[in-house]
Amino acid sequence: MKTVRAVVSLLLAGLIFWALDNRHGTFPALGRLLDPFSGFWRNGEGVDRIPEKLVVPGLREEVRIVWDDRRVPHIFAANDRDLYLAQGWVAASLRLWQMEFQALYTAGRISEVVGPIGLRQDIFNRRFGLVWGAENAQRAMRQDTETREAIEAFTAGVNAYIRSLGRKRLPVEYKIFDYRPEPWTELKCALLLKAMSYTLASGNRDAAMTAARDALGEETVDRLFPFFPPLVEPVIPPGTVFEREGSAPPAGGGGAAGTDGTAGRRREMAASRGLAPSIPPADGCPEPPALFSSGFLPGPGVGSNNWAVSGKRTRSGFPILCNDMHLELALPAIWYEVQLAAPGVNVRGVAFPSAPTVIAGYNQDVAWGFTNAGSDVLDWYAVTFKDDARDEYLYGGEWRKTTVREETIKVRGGRPVVDRVIHTHHGPIVRWPDEPPFPGMSVPAGAALRWLAHDASNEFATLYALNRARNYEDYAEALASWDCPAQNIVFADGEGTIAISHNGKFPLRRKGQGRYILDGSDPSDDWPGWVPHEHVPAVKDPERGFVGSANQLYAGPGYPYYLGWDYAPFERGARINEILASMSDITPEDMVRMQADVVDIRARAVLPRLLSLIEGRPMSGTETACYESLRAWDFEALAGSAAPAVFSELWSALNRLTWDDEKKGDMGRMPWPASEILVDLVLNDPGSEFFDDRTTPERETLADIAEGAFRAAAAGLEKAHGPLGPAWHWGQVKGTRLGHLGRIPGFGREGLETDGAGHVVNAIDRAWAPSWRMVVELGPEVRAWGNYPGGQSGHPGSRRYDDFVDDWAAGRAYELVFLKSADEPHPAVAARTVMRGKR
Amino acid sequence: MIAVVLCLAVMGALQLLTPFWWWIMIVPFVFGAAGAGSGRKAFWTGFIAAGLLWLGAGLFFMLSGSRIIAGRMAGMFGLGSGWLMVPVTALVAALAGAIAGYAGHAARGLFKRSR
Repeated sequence: MKTVRAVVSLLLAGLIFWALDNRHGTFPALGRLLDPFSGFWRNGEGVDRIPEKLVVPGLREEVRIVWDDRRVPHIFAANDRDLYLAQGWVAASLRLWQMEFQALYTAGRISEVVGPIGLRQDIFNRRFGLVWGAENAQRAMRQDTETREAIEAFTAGVNAYIRSLGRKRLPVEYKIFDYRPEPWTELKCALLLKAMSYTLASGNRDAAMTAARDALGEETVDRLFPFFPPLVEPVIPPGTVFEREGSAPPAGGGGAAGTDGTAGRRREMAASRGLAPSIPPADGCPEPPALFSSGFLPGPGVGSNNWAVSGKRTRSGFPILCNDMHLELALPAIWYEVQLAAPGVNVRGVAFPSAPTVIAGYNQDVAWGFTNAGSDVLDWYAVTFKDDARDEYLYGGEWRKTTVREETIKVRGGRPVVDRVIHTHHGPIVRWPDEPPFPGMSVPAGAALRWLAHDASNEFATLYALNRARNYEDYAEALASWDCPAQNIVFADGEGTIAISHNGKFPLRRKGQGRYILDGSDPSDDWPGWVPHEHVPAVKDPERGFVGSANQLYAGPGYPYYLGWDYAPFERGARINEILASMSDITPEDMVRMQADVVDIRARAVLPRLLSLIEGRPMSGTETACYESLRAWDFEALAGSAAPAVFSELWSALNRLTWDDEKKGDMGRMPWPASEILVDLVLNDPGSEFFDDRTTPERETLADIAEGAFRAAAAGLEKAHGPLGPAWHWGQVKGTRLGHLGRIPGFGREGLETDGAGHVVNAIDRAWAPSWRMVVELGPEVRAWGNYPGGQSGHPGSRRYDDFVDDWAAGRAYELVFLKSADEPHPAVAARTVMRGKR
Repeated sequence: MIAVVLCLAVMGALQLLTPFWWWIMIVPFVFGAAGAGSGRKAFWTGFIAAGLLWLGAGLFFMLSGSRIIAGRMAGMFGLGSGWLMVPVTALVAALAGAIAGYAGHAARGLFKRSR
């Protein structure tokens, strides 16, 4: 009996030990996590203490860090190497877990942390060539002396920090997921650029558009998805003269005039060889949602605003530059603020934790900012393989060899998975016909991916130079090395210049080339070359006294190259131009307010017409209340008002009823045209055939569709939120949230009630929003304001984890501290740290 | 009483000096195997010593800057308040220490009889 008791109790003790010392699925190792001596309890506000002295191995000279009262580090070094080494250390001390998690995610290594549930995402990221592209970028970075030194020093700084950490001080997410940081590498800095490119330059609807063309015909597609849509005001203002010299497109390529019906020609060519590749239809089923966030996911909310006004329009007589970049909301925040100073550079702004330099910001002389360009740098090529071995494919009438890149994915708690990624000269095949859809992107099965982000490029060279720019010439020169993701880079300097450039490396294309899946066997479908950098759409000091962009079309028909077709709808761009054109004597405070502008010009354009069509129809109580709320609305998307929620539902229903019945054959979902197409039809063509519901024998017009949409909206809202009341308020219906990067419950911020909407200037949507707002007034004393949704620290136990969120949600900005030297007395200085290489 | 204090002191010192949580099982186990008069005493000594150590340490951190993280952890575990993390922490330690103490005593029993 005693023996049994002893054996049972020993087994029980062993079991408890094992249970508390190990993770179980996603459940953490409780013993280690709860241990007050080295578990989560140690991740409190102690992390907010700033050391006066630090030994950071590798530093050559002393580095001084001044911390302001918002925990922004102002780093003063004696040379570039020390500067970026210190930046690496500081970034890691604030955001180590986020840096590594994003790098692992991008590299397709998340299964190493989360186990088999991450496998599908990892396979996708490997197939998509993110690591391949990062390896190419790393080589390019190393060829440039300055960027090589910056990346090396940054990497050394991160690693010095990692080496200084014991288990007790590990960021809490390591304790929850139960793993340890590995050494940082230069490749991880390069992976960041690829994550950015994936977010900003991988969006494509090639598969859906191909299916739509095959079902509806090219003419209908061109009507619904025009190259020059109505209402859109291009980035480059009308009247701008484009340099045409030397811009003659190569034979068979380029040129907006090339309306040669490429798709039909291509199909004929392929058919004449009897080798028509089977262009796969778009998947009818939606992609499953992504499991985790890298903080860098592409999505409908990708967008941004930037503008600069010339001194002619400002009170100070000097330019003001503004920028707010819209990204997926997440905690830890995607940006952190920093000032970097060394001989030859003193720059302030925001940086990504995973890379050296300031990304968007200003110095004493210039300021710059970004919006995504959205031009087409990603194409899918249908590939004809010789046989199932897939080692040869057809190209130019001959069989070419494929190459294979073997990707080994380590899986926590499982066997490694080896994935053979097959490459053609176009690029990798991402999904095979027998595979299920990937999370987050519609990938045409069996097609090869040609993506600019795979090509070697060194965008850090641009950032390095912009950080040190003194004037317009420096800016223009810096932009030449920025390939991908293409950006509308806005600029202003203290001499009074304002400028914007739709900047990046763009393939020469026939008009419309790449809108549909291309023929991988036809050499004339390859990219024949590049738009010369001096010909990218750009403007300096335009007559109207301001430049700006909101991800819309780059330029009107006068521009001689075709760069893409799928740009942001008209609202934000048109509203920005409308406000700026009406303003004079502009102050920075005006600009901070303008970044929080919530006027919905889509609603303003269509609502009077829609309401007039349903006026006088019999209505239920809820419908009457909806009607009245819309009629009384001033078109401002405010959190405390029900009307924006009603309009949002009404607009969705109007789209659904207008477009969904246009679908034909096996084309899957009908892709909805941009908002300006429907706005244009509502205003100018109420009898349009598109308003006819093809499922009924009657001929419907806008009046019928508007009434049906209105009733559907009222019913939908009532079903979801009960009778019209506070639960209908836009802030609640929208429910803005900042999710934790690792999707840990309790580590984000839920249920923020915010003004704004995706298509108004203050573009706070549910999960996408302005990720950094900045207003910079140039002049003898540069002044700037900014804010972002988050806090400087990535530690969830820190007071600085999310302390900017409420001010950000309310549209408030902080005046940014910009120091001339480490000794400058400033009321906002909170602490100082001296770093030395040796004790 | 002395056993509890002794166990607690040894565990606390080892936990401070090393990053391992499992001293709260090893120390009661050794005590149970080497010094406990009875299984019951071994059990309760482990329970009280380990429980008190983690209760005290948890309270200390709760009151000295770990309230935010405790609140977030409570959110992760679906508990209403960060304060609940203190008894949860103490209870896990107490149970682990108790079972380890009892198992130590029982193991000694095995050893004795075989000799």
